[in-house]
Amino acid sequence: MTHDPMTPSRHALARGLLGGGALFLIWEIAARGFDLPAYILPAVSEILLRFWTARDVLGGAAVYTLGEAFGGYLLGGAVGVALALCVTLVPVLRRVIVPAATAVNSVPIVAFSPLILLWFGMGAGSKVVMVAVAVSFTMFVSALAGFDRVDERSVNLMRSFGASRAAILWKLRLPTALPLILSGMRLSTVRSLIVAIVTEMLGAYGGLGWVIYQAVIVIDFVQVWAAIFVASAASLAFFGFVSFLERRLVFWR
Amino acid sequence: MTAIPASAGAFPAARRFGAVLPLLRGLLALAAVLVAVELIILAFGIRPYVLPRPSMVLEAILRTPAAYRDAILRTGTEVLLGFGAGALFGVWIGVAFSRLRFLRETVFPIFIVSQTIPVIAFGALVVMWFGNTILAKAVIVFYLTFFPVTVNTLLGMRTVDQKQVQLMQSFGASDAVIMRKLRFPTALPHIFVALRIASALGLSGAVVGEWFGDTTGLGVLLLQGMYAENMVAIWAAILCAAALGIAFFSAIGWAEKRIVFWGGETA
Repeated sequence: MTHDPMTPSRHALARGLLGGGALFLIWEIAARGFDLPAYILPAVSEILLRFWTARDVLGGAAVYTLGEAFGGYLLGGAVGVALALCVTLVPVLRRVIVPAATAVNSVPIVAFSPLILLWFGMGAGSKVVMVAVAVSFTMFVSALAGFDRVDERSVNLMRSFGASRAAILWKLRLPTALPLILSGMRLSTVRSLIVAIVTEMLGAYGGLGWVIYQAVIVIDFVQVWAAIFVASAASLAFFGFVSFLERRLVFWR
Repeated sequence: MTAIPASAGAFPAARRFGAVLPLLRGLLALAAVLVAVELIILAFGIRPYVLPRPSMVLEAILRTPAAYRDAILRTGTEVLLGFGAGALFGVWIGVAFSRLRFLRETVFPIFIVSQTIPVIAFGALVVMWFGNTILAKAVIVFYLTFFPVTVNTLLGMRTVDQKQVQLMQSFGASDAVIMRKLRFPTALPHIFVALRIASALGLSGAVVGEWFGDTTGLGVLLLQGMYAENMVAIWAAILCAAALGIAFFSAIGWAEKRIVFWGGETA
């Protein structure tokens, strides 16, 4: 198959850059050419300029939001993996925890945000909790799939050599589950940032969601777009960082 | 008829995850949880501000059923419109990406980056563009749903066995026939996985879209509850959102069982 379109070409990166560049060019020409008002579509150059002039506000907001997202991300990841571990080690719990987790997950996560805001207040605490709730479910599902992937024959083999439960967990279950746990962590990065920003919209003292909401109220859409670009860049950086860690930790793959 | 349960049992992982999760079992579990929560709250004397009793929440819904019914219908319509468009577009562009490498390599990175845009920022723009209409909410839902479907369509197309393609080609089958009879059916189980993910995301999108100022919908009820610090009203809205989410999820599971009758992926 010389012409299978599914295999990536050698120009994949160049083409990706071409696509992005073309999008920005069309955007710039459309915004300038049709003289669109900023609340419909501001020109890319204006947004980039705003990056520079509002760098203190945007940078501070990005750090604030990333902090919230990262705190919730770690907390949620720990809770999710711990729950999956409980279910794996004590099989009776599976019948209780799995349906409960499914029930909680059937509620769209944003529906919990008014509740969490009233419980934990307007500060960073409520955002950390929201992110943790969102991340913990994804992590629970990924980690459980990972622990379940362990071959029972290997467990029996280790047991027959007198390995303790802790040893089986540390030497067999965890390494087997790690690729799935880490891919769950990677997928949760973007989500954690988005959930933090959405919760900030309902009430906060700072952060990208707060900046966006303030800008929408005063109809400053250049600022909205600038904040969107910053949020995207922060998400991609977070994602890249976790992907890097994943490659380092799962070296045997 | 006995063949179907037998084959279903062969792939427990794929079957158990949603496809055969019947609505009845979900409702039964929900009822059990509600009763348990009720008893715990009564036993420990938890104040309603922390956690209201489920019976109070149900009573609130039954006192003004029309408000909750209208909200569910409104939000449900928004999700259906956006989800339908998102699913169709996602499958279509996923198929196009699988056939046209240049298109995939130039446009797909933009799609990926677009998914890092926080939904509320996107929502603010969309509401500005389309006004506070049902269309604006549907567009937000569309934006959240099309991407997982695109990704999984592409993934599904990748799992097609090249030997089977070559076999069909050797019998003179056209590209269109190969797509319809081999590639698309192979990708369908993957597409359904994406549809389940997308339905939950879409519901979130519709709720957030309503926060930009609307008069009916579950998002509006949530916001009103928050501003009034009325915990019972918030929980009533959460319960309705859960019911809507379960309904969408079950509908997709049911459709999957009907359409992917051969049992889906064996891996």
